[in-house]
Amino acid sequence: MSDIQQQGKPLTLGGLVIILSLLIISLLFIAPILLVFLNSFKGKLFVINTPFAFPNDESFTGINNYVSGIAATGFFSAFGWSLFITVFSVAIIVLFTSMTAWYITRSTGRFCKGLYYAFVFAMIVPFQMVMFPLTKVANFLHLDNPLGILVLYLGFGSAQSVFLFSGFVKSVPIAVEEAATIDGCTPIRAYFSVIFPMLAPIAVTVAILNAMWVWNDFLLPNLVIGSEYRTIPVAVQYLRGGYGSIDWGYMMAMIGLAVIPIIIFYFVCQKHIIQGVTAGSVKG
Amino acid sequence: MKKNKVFRYLLSALMAAALFGGCAKKNAVPSVYLLNFKAEIQAQWEEVAAQFTQETGIPMKVVTAASGGYEQTLRSEIAKSAPPTVFNINGPVGYKTWASYCADLKDTQLYSWLLDKSMAINSGSGVYGIPYAVETYGIIYNDAIMRKYFALPNKAVNIAGVGDIKNFATLKAVVEDMTKNKAALGIGGVFASTSFSPGEDWRWQTHLANLPIYYEYQAKNVGDLEKIELTYTKNYQNIFDLYINNSITDRKMIGSKTVGDSMSEFALGQVAMVQNGNWGWSQIAGESGNVVKPEDVKFLPIYTGVNGEETQGLCTGTENFICVNARAPAADQEASLKLLEWLFNTPAGKKNVIEKLGFVAPFSTFGPQERPEDPLVKEMFRYLDDSGLNSVAWNFPTFPSQEFKNELGAALYQYALGNKSWDDLTKETVTSWATEKAAIQ
Amino acid sequence: MEKSLKKYFLFFVGPTLIAFLIAFVIPFIAGIILSFARFTTMTDISWVGFSNYVRAFSNSDFVNALKFSALFTVVSVIIINVAAFSLALLLTRGIMGTNIFRTMIFMPNLIGGIVLGYIWQFIINGFLSIFGVTITVDAKYGFWGLVILSNWQFIGYMMIIFIAGIQNIPGDIMEAATIDGAGPFTVLRKITIPLVMPSITITLFMTIANSFKMFDQNLALTAGAPGKETAMVALDIYNTFYSRVGWEGVGQAKALMFFLVVVVITLVQLTITRRKEITN
Repeated sequence: MSDIQQQGKPLTLGGLVIILSLLIISLLFIAPILLVFLNSFKGKLFVINTPFAFPNDESFTGINNYVSGIAATGFFSAFGWSLFITVFSVAIIVLFTSMTAWYITRSTGRFCKGLYYAFVFAMIVPFQMVMFPLTKVANFLHLDNPLGILVLYLGFGSAQSVFLFSGFVKSVPIAVEEAATIDGCTPIRAYFSVIFPMLAPIAVTVAILNAMWVWNDFLLPNLVIGSEYRTIPVAVQYLRGGYGSIDWGYMMAMIGLAVIPIIIFYFVCQKHIIQGVTAGSVKG
Repeated sequence: MKKNKVFRYLLSALMAAALFGGCAKKNAVPSVYLLNFKAEIQAQWEEVAAQFTQETGIPMKVVTAASGGYEQTLRSEIAKSAPPTVFNINGPVGYKTWASYCADLKDTQLYSWLLDKSMAINSGSGVYGIPYAVETYGIIYNDAIMRKYFALPNKAVNIAGVGDIKNFATLKAVVEDMTKNKAALGIGGVFASTSFSPGEDWRWQTHLANLPIYYEYQAKNVGDLEKIELTYTKNYQNIFDLYINNSITDRKMIGSKTVGDSMSEFALGQVAMVQNGNWGWSQIAGESGNVVKPEDVKFLPIYTGVNGEETQGLCTGTENFICVNARAPAADQEASLKLLEWLFNTPAGKKNVIEKLGFVAPFSTFGPQERPEDPLVKEMFRYLDDSGLNSVAWNFPTFPSQEFKNELGAALYQYALGNKSWDDLTKETVTSWATEKAAIQ
Repeated sequence: MEKSLKKYFLFFVGPTLIAFLIAFVIPFIAGIILSFARFTTMTDISWVGFSNYVRAFSNSDFVNALKFSALFTVVSVIIINVAAFSLALLLTRGIMGTNIFRTMIFMPNLIGGIVLGYIWQFIINGFLSIFGVTITVDAKYGFWGLVILSNWQFIGYMMIIFIAGIQNIPGDIMEAATIDGAGPFTVLRKITIPLVMPSITITLFMTIANSFKMFDQNLALTAGAPGKETAMVALDIYNTFYSRVGWEGVGQAKALMFFLVVVVITLVQLTITRRKEITN
């Protein structure tokens, strides 16, 4: 907390106005989510025609949207795949990119320096540039399944993660590592017993940022595994278009279900998320 | 530099892995992999697959493409080491793209059962695609509301019932008079919403657009054209105007409406008519709060004001042609044919086709009693059995591309909003057709 | 150290490097090659020189998408940063309920683009129905819809970064300034803004990248309707690949140009703000 905060100021009229306007602004940020839940209990025609009205006898459909929507989208299996892909992608990204970042930061070879810049370069390349060839490569190497997509996430997430870890490794005193190697540890043992624990703060940041990205990612899973294994965003997109046609009632219920885990995750790890976002934005 | 060496090794190892990784795995057991075209019957197909495996011991996998994304999915799946063994093409245009993957089905039992051999996709002496589900579309109407209208003492037309509507002029007179009497009929509009939410405009840019194209092909005696003139554009405008001017939804509001909304409006009795096909029955029947009785759900042809349209029937055809992948292992192709024979010739298979998949299968193995039990299919056969009527063929499989349809849909929407003249729409459509046809070559 | 590390290269760098090659390096190089080719499958390729680049401009879709993206980026970046900075100023003054306000304002950022798009499609259509129109009636509505959506998504995130920047300003500088009788605006202009310049660099970098490359939200909110008037570059490229047979090479050419534009924007923006940071 900053040292210019003056806690417990007496409330002036101006202060009250500020608090009230902040309250209104904050509510505006929450309102759309509340509206979704409100509408998830209405029939589809009422969602579109009277979105701001409370459900009444005529429009109230109980949990029907949830029941039918889950059946129509296969929501539970989508939730399962989303969870599986997110957890394991994040795990391998944190493990492997931290090792890579530490190695290329400590190494003085030209190849490693070049590799570092290759990762930095990859950070700014739009996904559309590699989208089409990537799907072909994924098919060719049989990576078009929930296990294979982990490799793609590692490859695609490595750029930012290596960058963040490298920035942090630069600030770790080298003496500690040297002490460990003098003790006769192999670099591998030294890394896992001494160095990796020191990287914990930034590892949490990398994990949070990647979890937010993978959980919400749409294009990559849609193109690579979308026809067989749908994640939540893909399942939501499948609700629209074609002869099946979009049902706004189901849509509201599915969006509600998609948002609930995010809200829970947010309240459980709020501190880490906010710190992670802050740390992740500081340049290395 | 040692690192460079390592890098080279790595790269060459990776290239080698990429080259050998692409080799097909040997399949010990013959199996079937079906790429399903209809997103709405995904669950049903999976049940059918399980039953087929149980009865024959042949493993079967079903993958469903997103609606509107079939071509894209097929393109990526077919390149895999275990590609689909049975897939769907939409007609001659699709065949152009997939010719090298389509096995010749001339000597199969399935082809011998096909009632109308001219429906199959031929090339030279071979048969490469067999239609497996016949469908129809037209104007679905609620007969209860229509009876109510014809019982009105102050009605402006002097005909006795829907049976007397034989052309566009009569249809227009009835619809416009019904609009005047909305309150008395208890409806919000004659036609359901003209859905134009993104991706929901296929009823206008594909199905309705089929009519002017069909008549142009008829007049020129062709089955496909590189360049069209849209000679029947006035007729296209007639019917489209009738829809948007007599709809429950104001033309400024159609951008948020979906096909599902339209079907709901019809099922809830808020409108008297909706343009859609026999596949719409499940949406009507499945609507909670449905007030329309099955016996009141009927079909009317889409009249547009063409001379002699008194003999026009419904738009009946198919864009569901089954193909067997010629590049799949021979044993898998065999297994795929087994699936088709089981599905369309055994009692258990046919039960699935009729009850689960809801197909009207055009094969001699199906008797007149072996049809899906739904009012719109009954209507379809009522029209088909009437020798005085000619069905409108499905020519939209010859439309150049999805892009062409999207552009036409966008133009129709702009016309409905009043931002575009019909003349401009016609010119753009003619141009877009030629451009997109040229791009495929 | 260096010597003994060498033989561990494969262990430490191998897995990431292989994944990076598969997911990025090989597709990137393939993408450059394919932009000069005509192909339907990867095995059936013919060399066509620059004709894909010519075809990319054969209709106005791509240019319109670039213009639309640029305009959208300028407008949304300005609004997001000004709003986020103002909120950060208010929420670093120890006002009652500060934490709750921060929590609420940040929350939308965690929701994915597709879901956000549908949330706002139904809210905006519901609001516009009062006036008897929908979001796809006019490209203007779609444009401002996207602006509202991106603001709702990113203000909280940028606010958090600004808060960290403001809290890093040493307290004694502020105190000294107030004792010298500097008014709040002078403090803001002479002290706060120059000292949070690093944060401004970051938020600009992030908001420009996010806005210019936006895809999911665009697909779900308007899908480019009416016509293609609200299609941003990423969506236009996606449609070129997946809704037209025979245009894949053109899609790849557009993607390459998109990439070059992004690189230029990034470099220009970084040099400008870096220079600002140094001179202050």
